[in-house]
Parts: sequence; C-alpha cells; structure tokens
Amino acid sequence: MTLSIIAKYAKLIKKIAVAHPAAAFQLLRLGLLYERTRVKRLPPEKIPDAYKYLNVMALDSVRGAMRHPEKAVCVNLFAPVEILQCFGLTPLSVECFSAFMSAFLIEDYFIGYAEKTGMSDTLCSYHKNFAGILESGVFPKPKMALTTTIACDCNVNTFRYLEKKLGVPSYVIDVPYEDTPENRGYLVEQLKELIAYLEKETGKTFREEDLKGYLERENQSLAYQKEYMELQARKYYPSSMTLQLFKLFASHLLPGAPEVLEYYRLLAEDIKKYPDRDMTKIFWVHVLPFYQKSLKKWFDFNPDYQIVGMDFDLDFSDFLDVENPLDALAGKMIRSIYNGPFENKIERIKEALDWLDPDAVIHFCHWGCKQSAGGVMELKKALQEMDMPMLILDGDGLDKRMTPDGQIKTRTEAFLELLQSRRGGDR
Amino acid sequence: MIAYMCRYAPIEIFHSFEEETHYIEPETSLFEQAEALMHPIVCSFVKCALEDIISAKYDGVVLTSCCDSTRRLYDVIKNRYPEKFIYLLELPVKKTPAARKVFENSLRKMIREYEAFSGKEFREESLLSAMEKANLESTRDAGNLPGAVNVGLLGARYSPSVMDLIRRSGANISFNISCTGQDHHFCLAGDGSVMEKYVEGLFSKVPCMRMEDGGERNRYWEEHKEGLSGLIFHTVKFCDNYSYEYAGTRDELDLPVLKIETDYTPQAEGQLKTRVDAFIEAVDGQPLPPSGTDPLAQSGLNRAGGTIGDNAMGKYVLGIDSGSTSTNAVILDENKKVVAWTVVRTGARSGQSAEKALAEVLEKAGLVREDLCQIVATGYGRVSIPFADKVVTEISCHGKGAHYINPKVRTILDIGGQDSKAIRLDEQGNVKDFAMNDKCAAGTGRFLEMMARTLELSIDQMGPESMNWKEDLKISSMCTVFAESEVISLIAENKDKADIIRALNQAIASRNEGLLARVGVEPVVMMTGGVAKNVGVVKAVEEKLGQNLFIYEEPEIIGALGAALFAFE
Repeated sequence: MTLSIIAKYAKLIKKIAVAHPAAAFQLLRLGLLYERTRVKRLPPEKIPDAYKYLNVMALDSVRGAMRHPEKAVCVNLFAPVEILQCFGLTPLSVECFSAFMSAFLIEDYFIGYAEKTGMSDTLCSYHKNFAGILESGVFPKPKMALTTTIACDCNVNTFRYLEKKLGVPSYVIDVPYEDTPENRGYLVEQLKELIAYLEKETGKTFREEDLKGYLERENQSLAYQKEYMELQARKYYPSSMTLQLFKLFASHLLPGAPEVLEYYRLLAEDIKKYPDRDMTKIFWVHVLPFYQKSLKKWFDFNPDYQIVGMDFDLDFSDFLDVENPLDALAGKMIRSIYNGPFENKIERIKEALDWLDPDAVIHFCHWGCKQSAGGVMELKKALQEMDMPMLILDGDGLDKRMTPDGQIKTRTEAFLELLQSRRGGDR
Repeated sequence: MIAYMCRYAPIEIFHSFEEETHYIEPETSLFEQAEALMHPIVCSFVKCALEDIISAKYDGVVLTSCCDSTRRLYDVIKNRYPEKFIYLLELPVKKTPAARKVFENSLRKMIREYEAFSGKEFREESLLSAMEKANLESTRDAGNLPGAVNVGLLGARYSPSVMDLIRRSGANISFNISCTGQDHHFCLAGDGSVMEKYVEGLFSKVPCMRMEDGGERNRYWEEHKEGLSGLIFHTVKFCDNYSYEYAGTRDELDLPVLKIETDYTPQAEGQLKTRVDAFIEAVDGQPLPPSGTDPLAQSGLNRAGGTIGDNAMGKYVLGIDSGSTSTNAVILDENKKVVAWTVVRTGARSGQSAEKALAEVLEKAGLVREDLCQIVATGYGRVSIPFADKVVTEISCHGKGAHYINPKVRTILDIGGQDSKAIRLDEQGNVKDFAMNDKCAAGTGRFLEMMARTLELSIDQMGPESMNWKEDLKISSMCTVFAESEVISLIAENKDKADIIRALNQAIASRNEGLLARVGVEPVVMMTGGVAKNVGVVKAVEEKLGQNLFIYEEPEIIGALGAALFAFE
C-alpha cells in the first residue's frame, strides 16, 4: 500500500471506530490480510526468503489472535509464552500489536483515547495504544492477560487497569531482581500456579513433554541464530527496521514453535547466498522507530548501512535446560538483560558486539521508558571505554508525534559522517 | 547517615545498628547533573534525589527495586560511589509467603553487607527496640474532622511545599496513602521471629501502586469516605504508576477529585495554588479570603471589620482578572449591568498592571475609586493585588461570568496566556468539575505566541492567515519544544505559512480536546480567554468537538466579569 492509501485507510478506521468499533476491527483484519497477500508475492530481490517467511508468520500470529480473541492472551514481551503455546493459546503482545497500529497510522487515535481517560502523557505509548484499542472496543475482549514485572512499570499497571475496566483476568509473574536459587524457586512456584490456573481455564491438562519440546526447539533455534550472526557480521543481508522488529515474534512471542525453528533454519541458510560487503554496521539498542522517514532512508534496504542486530532480539541467549523446563523458564526470565542491574545488560551487549562486529551503536530512548533511558549514560560510558561510538536518539517507537524528524535527521546524519571519517573516507 | 526514599525502606534495621537515617526530600530547581548522568525522561523525583545524593554527604543510600527510575538510580550511584554503602532491596509486587521470603532474604543479605561495611554486629533485640520506638513515634492519619473540608491524598509522593499549600488552602488532610504517607507500625504480639514481625509490619501498609493488589487502596479510601469532602490525586512528572489509578477510578468515585502534577521542583506556585484553592472552594462552596489575611476574613468580614469591602462607600463593584498576558477589569452597577471594562497588557509586574487597569476602567466609566464598594480579584496574579477585598479563583469566576452571559453554557474552554482550563458547570453556573493543563505551555496562548515569532507574524495575524490554508499539514507533537522544531522543519521544506498555522491550530485543538474530555463535554460550550479571538483556533476546536462554540464578543473579560459578580455574594 502506498502511504496515501494507508492514510485514507487510517482516516476511515478512525472515523468508523467512534461509533462502530466492531466494523473498525474488521477493517483492521482486512488490512492485515491485504498485507499478507502483498508480502507473499514479493520476489527475493525485494525481501530475503527468511524475512519473507518471518513477515508472513508475524502477520499470521496477529491475524490468529484477531480471528479468535477468545484464545488470545495479552502479554508483555517477556512473558513465558511457551506455557501458553502448550495450552493452544495465542500470545498477543502489547508492544508488537501496538506497532501494527502505528504502521496503519492509527496509533494517535488509540493513544488519544487512553489519554482522555486520564492516562499520563508521559506514559509509554505502547501501553497507552494497547489500553486504548481495548477500551475503545475496537479489539474484542481477549481471554486473559499474562505479564511479568520485567523491564517496565507499566506491565502490572496496564493489565490491572484492563482487568478492572474490562474484566480481562490477568496473571502477574513477579520476577525478582537478583538471580539466586531461592528467587528462582519463587518464580517456579508462580509458574506452577499459572499452569494450574490455565488448566482450570482451558480444561486442558498440561503435559511437561510439550513444554520440553518447545524448549528443545528453542535451543535448536539458538544454534541457528549463532550461525546466522557469524555471517551477518560480514554479509549484506537486505533488511529494514520493520523486519528487525518482526524478529521479536520469533524470539519473544512464538519461541520454540515449529515454524519459528524453520525460520531460524532458513535464516542461517539463506544468508549464505548473500555477498560480503564493506558497509557501515549498526547495533541497535532498544525499540526501533520503524516508521521514521529519515531513518528509513538509511536503514531500510540500503546496502551502505545495515542494522546487524538489536538488543531486544538477543536479550536472552543461553541454552535452556530441557530436562528442568520450569527452572529453565525461571532462569530465562530472571537472567533477561531487561531484569536486574544495568551492568548485566551492558555485558550482554558487549557479547553481541563481539559476535556482530558493528561500527557503532545507536540507542533509541523511547519516550516514557525510564528503565532504558535511565541507564543510557552508563552504557555510553562502557562503550566509550572500548572505543565504540554510540549515538543517542530521542523519540517514540510508535507515536510519530513524539519523534521530531529534524532532530533525528540531524543527529543521525552527523553521526554517520563521524563514522565515515573514522573509516577514513567518503561513501 | 543512611539516606532512603521509599516507604518500604527498612530504616529500623539501621536504627538497630545505631545508625542515623535521613529521608530524602529534595526540592531541587535544576536537574543539571541528574540529566547528564541519567536522562531527562527519568522520574522527576528520582532526578531530584540524585542531585541531593550528589550534593549531600551520606554514608550510604538504601533503595528498593520499586520502580524503573529507582532501579536505574541504583545503577548510577553504585558505580559513582563504590566507597559508600549502596544497597538495592528486593521488593516483590506480591504479598504471598514466598514473596515475603524473597524480601526477608534480601533484608538479611543487606544486614550482612552492612555488618561488613560498618564493622558493627546485628542484634535482633536491638531491632525489636527500634520497632518499639517506631511504634511510639508513628503518627496516624488525622481522619475526618467535623465541619472541616476533609481531603484524602492519593497518588505519588507529596513534597512538603505541596502539603503546605494544601493545608494553607484550609483543608484538613484526613489521610495520605501516597509514597510519603503512613509511618511504619509493627505488631509485636504473637508468635514468630522478630524478623518475621518486621517483614509483616512493612508489608501490612496500604500498598503503593507498584504492588500487585491495587484493590487494597480502593478499599482504604472507601472505608474513610464518611465525612470526606474530596480526594486529591498527585502525580510526579514521569512517574506514571499513579495515572492508572486516576484513570481507573475517577469515574467510579462519587467524591470530587482534583488531579495535580508537579515535577518536584519549587512550583510555579500560582497555578498550583489556583487549582487547589478552586477545588477547596468547589467542595466547600465558599470563596477563599485573600492570601495572608487573618481568619476573620473567612467569615465574610473585611479587614476593617465591616460587612463589605474596604470600599464601602460606593454602589459599584469591580472585578479584576490578573492573567499572565492581560489584566482585565470590569465594573458593574448595582443592577449587575456592565458599566465599563478594560484590557491592559500584564507587564513584568502584575501589581502595576492591576493599578493601570483600575485607573483605566474607572476613567472609562467616569467614576472615581470611592464609587466602588467591593473589589474582587481573580487570575494568576490575584494574590498580588493589594486593593482587592476578596480573591476568588479564575475557575469559579469563569463559571460565574459565563453563566451570567449565557445561562445555557455547561462547558467552558478557557485558553489563556499560560494555561488552559476546561470547566463544567451545572444549571446554576456552579463549577461541577474542571481540569487544567500542567506546567507545560503546549496548547496555550504562549505556545501560539512562540510559534508566531518563529513564523515572523504578529499574534493577531495568526487567525486570519490560517483561513487561507490549502495543504493539509500535520504538526503532530503536543510538546511546545518539539512542535517548534516541526515548524522549523516545515519552513525548511518551504511550506506555506497558512498551512503551518492551520496545522498548529489543529494541534492546539487536539490538546484541548483531551482536556475537555477529562471533564466531559456538554453543550453549550463556550470558549473564553484571549485565544478565543483567534478564528483559526476556534474553527479547529469546533471541528474537533463537532459543534459550534459560543463566544462572547469580549472573551477576555469573562473572568473579570465573574469576579465582579462574586462581589454581590
């Protein structure tokens, strides 16, 4: 869809949503179907095979949740979704679904809706958008919500708010700050409670073997991911900011699903076909403002500049102990780089930089995200010590109104000039 | 000395070590170092606390894992002060026995680390003594007092100056369940170890919003509703936990609610005072005496002991509205007919502008000062008008003035120089609810002035010019600074001024639509304030609301008119 057609589509949805939220919902479904058909037809010159597969998988995941809201579970990005998948439930991420609304140019409507109810203008736009789309009635009531306390103050609050306002039952997993055996035990106890709750709600019996299967495929996926990263360090593998975001469907929403394993296999295989290239490589920290017009010129399918990885996609990259699945999931949550001290995140980013060998790091400070922005200077100091240039951009991963193009363009352009001079010449 | 800032901080443990503790309660005006070490969007209180920690000579700081900003504060100070005792205590969001064990384990670890740091030894009997002492010193909530305006405080922490401001407005603070309320209290009876009783005591407090069970907070104020006049919700800029509580409960409460926000710096007190005073007026039904006057004035008597104003000789009344941009005055005769009015520019000193407005309006009316029997001041500078007999907030005055002009008005949008207000009225013109913008100037007259300067136009040209628009541009940011940056980008793209101004008008309309939504829009909607003269903004607001606005021929004088009408009461 061209931008002007999307703008007309967005205007129509916003208009209809006021009086006929259910009709707006059907229009959204139609938009996703159109996008799926469009992506399927794109030739490999436009989009690499693995990313096309990923793109369709992400669209199908969202479409599945929209087709069966009664099986959809609202989650934040760090929820133990493997357990949900064992029960045949579809995770619907606050962050990813909100990004879709932004791609459809309608996030301002839902953010505005939430702010009118009294939510703060400094609150994370992903959460406001999500609360807005549910409270406006555009998205039908989902089955339940599952969140963790990892990363963000909004998690407990948004889901509690939706439970109170709309009656969406929620379960909160309280993830302790420090990784100790006792704290892992606290997490395992909560996971058992969650499983018992889901058994009661779905009428299905939990089978540990199913969960082990998911974890086993996650380990296989990680092995493919490492193969891919070694090659990504030197190859130009055409990508875009949007596609980088779609990776979160594989790493956070559907990890261990058979189709996700297939994606990672394809990724490790497909990248081999692409050439080595001398280009400016960027490692991205925190969310990607995939819609931002100036950044798109540099980072969407541009052979001279490539985002080679992002911390969100690599926030947990240890192999899991398949024989102790609940303990493994507890460890995965408590050791996430978005939990615990910021130095853990810095160390994990350094490891990723070793793998991917980028020229620089860009940290995007998403409006309202204190846990990320609050540590940005600590990261900068650590990277300065290893002579790794880092650019800080301020804006909003979703809400275009909060991302001034002039600022983004000037800062990024100056930074890329700086990188070119470090490389010793013009491009 | 060990500093702390969370209501769950285990200060009695440090007291058991005979270590002093200090509650961090900073009122910093600048975030210079905090923003260099962290980021501007971090919670304003945490930035203030960081400035305080940098400047003070604490031996250590104990934080809890209570929120995103505090966790990052810990990272920053731990690296900056390796020689000090810096500890982050695990604070689970649940209250289950397993969660309490997580908390207790973290407490025990803290004790071990403090023993190593200080060379002192922990003794349970000393902790017990510290708990007994805490019980003796702890103060309970005041509760509701008969005949008083009783308010409950909810939301994030209240600085001492905001607490003082609320008390000065005449309110009795019945309870405070914000981060700064409720002392520690321990139940020492029964079985269990001292440490278990200690953990139990900390966990038995009314939970803050980061805890999982927010319902306990609702239950607390439900239990204290009898005799309560209203609730005040305070939020700290960039601390978002409590906006959920406000959004989640405001429609359910059958009590008047005031929502205020501060950034923990010394406030632009005028605006905050206006809102608190207007709220207390609304719940009490009585205008407040001028600031700093003796309590006699509260009974309706003037300073000289008479029953009307200092100017008791005449038969005319004056209302004067000292705003940030203009000072407006209206004289009414004994039949409540407008005799004269004036609008003068508020200069650097609001007192001088008020004198000038008084002189001008008297001259226009052909009257002398002695002809006035009562003067009522309103507006941002109302407390700086020495000749006023009475002060009333501009919220109440706009309601009164609007109702006088058109009794069908139920909703007012007042866009002034530095703030915007949405006011809901009942059939009698009494204020039912109101909302005001915060310190940010987005969507106000000041915002338009800044943009006019950027576009090299006079403020008067902005409205007519915008009507010549052709291209549908968007200024999407609500933030004044970002919006200016967007305007500059559009100028760089050689976009037409008319189109840019229209986009600005739409941004202002969006901002104010949100404000109106907070009080609910009921026709007839009247727009007041200087910006109501701007045809472009009026049109944009009308489009947003889908209805025509009622605009008086002199929209700037509604507040002054209302003030003059209050003189008759």
